[in-house]
Amino acid sequence: MAAAAGMAALCGRLRGVLRLGSAAAGIPGSTLSLFHKSLVQVEPLHPLRFLHTTLSQKGLEEFFDDPQNWGEKAVKSGDAWNIKQLRGKSSEDLHKLWYVLLKEKNMLLTLEQESKRQLRPMPSPERLEKVKKSMKNIDLVVREREIALRLLQTGHEKPVPGEWRHDFLGRTYWYTYKEWPIPWYLNKKYKKRRFYYLPHVNHFIRLRLEKALRRRVRRRNLERKRQKVLKRKFPHLAVKSQSH
Amino acid sequence: FFMLAVRPGVPQPEDTVQFRVSMQMTKVDIKNYLEKIYNVPVAAVRTRIQYGANNKRNHKNQRVKKPDYKVAYVQLGQGQTFQFPNLFPEKEQDTETQSFDDFKNKYMEREQQKQKGDPRRGGVPDWFGL
Repeated sequence: MAAAAGMAALCGRLRGVLRLGSAAAGIPGSTLSLFHKSLVQVEPLHPLRFLHTTLSQKGLEEFFDDPQNWGEKAVKSGDAWNIKQLRGKSSEDLHKLWYVLLKEKNMLLTLEQESKRQLRPMPSPERLEKVKKSMKNIDLVVREREIALRLLQTGHEKPVPGEWRHDFLGRTYWYTYKEWPIPWYLNKKYKKRRFYYLPHVNHFIRLRLEKALRRRVRRRNLERKRQKVLKRKFPHLAVKSQSH
Repeated sequence: FFMLAVRPGVPQPEDTVQFRVSMQMTKVDIKNYLEKIYNVPVAAVRTRIQYGANNKRNHKNQRVKKPDYKVAYVQLGQGQTFQFPNLFPEKEQDTETQSFDDFKNKYMEREQQKQKGDPRRGGVPDWFGL
């Protein structure tokens, strides 16, 4: 917690998992905070590169926020991590960020439960949503990288082969192949499944299509109407279209 | 795989910490989680699943279920103790909230004064004649 004193105004928490060489030197602004994007900047301090700091107080403290923030009405925090920002980070950095976010999520969940217990409002509940969004974005980026690697190595994007099939209701879906001990023509239950539809289903397919189209058009029109209302209320904020 | 510390409802021994954990976590999972991620020495873990009741009804008279959750009682190793801290200590109010609270109290006092009857009657309600 000694290095916490040198932290920026953002709600940040040190993690001993990272190489906190800069923290040991007491350089403010380059300590790792939750939403601070200077993960990469922690690296270039060559003489302190291999220094590991120990976690503060055996770690149960990390289930709770900075003691200065206890009892506050609102705690400041930065924005969530964007996918574009995460794509530029290395896999090691993403791995460390994932665990930082996991611990932060646990801390916020603890705070939420305690505030429900004490019948008090939780200070800044939007932090939880930001953390969840960041974690989801990290997952997406890792998935993208995995697919890219698999494409390069094998030429397939999906880990398990599959194909598009129809079900007996006329819907089209992606069927993944499963491992079976016997071939399909010996599998009684599989043979009862129908991967085709009869001609009388075409009427219902059309109805479903019409319903989906109507929904899409309704949503689009609603969006346009909302924009119109806003334009009428706030004409000075209207985005001026570029005149050619 | 989340884990959150909770204040125990029933007083627990000094070295026991109570957590609510993800339903799919086992005792071994919890032990490894705490040791690897939080660097906390764990001696023993006991778990139970708390069933969330399905008695409450919403405005449509449908039953609303409270979610089930798993509770873990973790005993710390190396003789460590843990007390669940008070996360909402009384803090000094800044001048804004203080002045707002003063204003609110004064307004309430004025309203109560209006509700009271004639002071010359000595607290006797108006129901009584004269």
